[in-house]
Amino acid sequence: MKRLTTLAAAAALLATGAVAQELYAPNLAYRTGPFAATGIPLMNGQADYFTLLNERDGGIGGVKINFDECETGYSTEQGVECYEKTKARAIVTQPWSTGITLQVLPKTNVDEIPILAPGYGFSPMADGRVFQWAFNIPSSYWDGASMILNYIEQEDGDLEGKKVAFLHLDHPFGKEPLPFMEAKAEEKGFELLPIPVGLKEMQNQSAQWLQIRRERPDYVVMWGWGAMNAGAITEAVKTRYPMENFYGVWWASHDADLNLVGEDGAGYKAISWSYPNLEAPLIADLKEHVIDAGLSQTNEEEMQGVFYNRGLVISMILAEGIRAAQEEFGEAEITPTQLRWGLENLEITDARLEELGMTGMVPPFSTSCADHTGHSGGWMLEWDGEQFQKVSDHLMPETEVISALEKQAAQEYADSNAPWPVNEECNVGG
Amino acid sequence: MLYRTAGQFKTSYQADQALFPVRQDAILLGVILIFAWVVLPMTASEFAFQTMLIPVLIYALAAMGLNILTGYAGQLSLGTGAFMGVGAYACYKMVTLMPWMNPVVAILLAGVFSAGVGVAFGIPSLRIKGFYLAIATLAAQFFLVWLFEKWAWLYNYNASGAIQVPNLDMFGLWVSGPQAASVTQYYLVLGVVTLMTLLCINLTRGNLGRTWKATRDMDIAAELIGINLMKSKLTAFAISSYVVGVAGAMYVFMWKGAAEPNVFDIPLSFQVLFIAIIGGLGSILGNFLGAILIVGLPVALNLLPNALGIPISSATVEHLNVMIVGALIIFFLIIEPHGLARLWALIREKLIVWPFPY
Repeated sequence: MKRLTTLAAAAALLATGAVAQELYAPNLAYRTGPFAATGIPLMNGQADYFTLLNERDGGIGGVKINFDECETGYSTEQGVECYEKTKARAIVTQPWSTGITLQVLPKTNVDEIPILAPGYGFSPMADGRVFQWAFNIPSSYWDGASMILNYIEQEDGDLEGKKVAFLHLDHPFGKEPLPFMEAKAEEKGFELLPIPVGLKEMQNQSAQWLQIRRERPDYVVMWGWGAMNAGAITEAVKTRYPMENFYGVWWASHDADLNLVGEDGAGYKAISWSYPNLEAPLIADLKEHVIDAGLSQTNEEEMQGVFYNRGLVISMILAEGIRAAQEEFGEAEITPTQLRWGLENLEITDARLEELGMTGMVPPFSTSCADHTGHSGGWMLEWDGEQFQKVSDHLMPETEVISALEKQAAQEYADSNAPWPVNEECNVGG
Repeated sequence: MLYRTAGQFKTSYQADQALFPVRQDAILLGVILIFAWVVLPMTASEFAFQTMLIPVLIYALAAMGLNILTGYAGQLSLGTGAFMGVGAYACYKMVTLMPWMNPVVAILLAGVFSAGVGVAFGIPSLRIKGFYLAIATLAAQFFLVWLFEKWAWLYNYNASGAIQVPNLDMFGLWVSGPQAASVTQYYLVLGVVTLMTLLCINLTRGNLGRTWKATRDMDIAAELIGINLMKSKLTAFAISSYVVGVAGAMYVFMWKGAAEPNVFDIPLSFQVLFIAIIGGLGSILGNFLGAILIVGLPVALNLLPNALGIPISSATVEHLNVMIVGALIIFFLIIEPHGLARLWALIREKLIVWPFPY
């Protein structure tokens, strides 16, 4: 019955949408508030990609994309407000913070709208059986943690007997990789030293770095966001921690944070599933159709940064999902349910990336009904004093260990939120 | 004209001390109640429920709790957010440990825990006053939020450290969690808030309320006329924290659906304190007016440019919003430092004597 009414609502939407001829894809942006500095380049990248598609190709499959922003200021309350405001017409919701994702996640089963949380949110969302409407394409935090540990092993040999400090924001986001890191510490025999940074201490981490100086860990792995990254990087320079042993998650690869220390930060590394390829044909098209036409809020310097280019990749994922759904169902104006199919059937190959003019900007990946992440793997980026450089080949996470953990955590979530609908049609491992 | 009191005679002291000595007040309240109970639920959209109606009621209740302590009993508190947290976590533990429990009972019982914690942190008020007491409650604020983060038992060892509201039903109807309909939650919140408001109005008008006001106005004088200060202050802490705890439990269970510890951090305390101050300390009506201004107005302002068809970006709207709400707060406090409730009281006085100036 519920499904019938939503279908009816969707049909009604289609009927009204036929006049407007557009797909409404809202983005819960944060250009204001304490995290605005990191939000703006991401939001600009996302918006510019869709402006380009609208200007150059007339949208996707002949329909323009109404890529509307709803400002949240990274606040959970305003995020939920935006979700409620946009959900009637939206084909997708992009919550843009772990807090908002956690709030919206249970509601999407009822509202039947896909959540697209690229590279953030809840790692077990990869289990498409349980989280039918949530996607964290192309990599989850557990993937990221796994890739960092693999890279360290690859470069410096065995981790056994080593000490790894895990500097993280004391918040759902920062705690996210802890279960994985703990499991690995036991398996590999290294000592894990979790060092939480409270939300109030983000800018002043002297206590944490004093602890690091005392404990002398072999590596520091950082799960930081916003002001915490700049704080940690300046403290690391001040305490003369060897930068080449300092690793960050992809949200700790903001050029502006490293610009603060410049040369002193050389050697700092961050794992990433996106990389700015400034020679890519896409960038040339963007300059021609969007930047020169005055349709963008970005600037020259920002466009070369990791975050702006990550925004482009995120929008590409959504656009490809829309395109896949349009081709499968043979209609231009797809419904949220059809978009879910599209996001579950992404085939981003090297050939496809070349067609899109995005070679080297994201590793190839594919998703399925059971795998809502894609586990693309990524690259290690290193700050050379002026910008981030790709220093590794394509790294892959340990999918087997992770998927076992994912299933267990997803099941726990479903149990504690019973009744929780599970999609039994999906074949696990498929 | 609208508020003419001519012809309304009071022939007994009882009639003069009634809740509504002026008939029009009762009519006005009746209209508002009909709106809240009948008209709004029938006309409001899902968006209006989730972003305006439910939060305004919950924040108003939290501010009412604080107002009992600060406005009526004169004990300044900066720990409201943490006491709301105690209510929320207590409710969460109760419904997860005892899933058979009726959610409304759990919400009402959750207040008992926060009342206990409130009394414990209220003990310093017996020796310290004013800003010094505010600092003591600030300690409660920091300590409790720290506890919510570190005591994993409180959030059932969830890896993310957040509490997630399970689906709870009452007589076959979902009342909390993602399955619950907004209108059900609204009625539940409205019911609890109406009940609490009735309770608070009568408490503050009665014997206990008078002891609180005496304590607030001059504690030495109050002691001299035979008021037990310890009893007066601690009952204020207990009842205030109870109401705040119930508001906190509803904040998570009836509205947000999930919460991490830092939700209950000091910004929430300040927000509730602002509502109480702008609404008017020492008034019940003020809490609702304040909540509408602080919680409801920004949401409405955000919708305005779109409704008028003005094409400005969402980020600009947000900047404008912060400026407009800030300016309004200053404006209202300049024209009436005692808050919106006092402003309404003045308007009402003028209406009663209208068309004469006195």
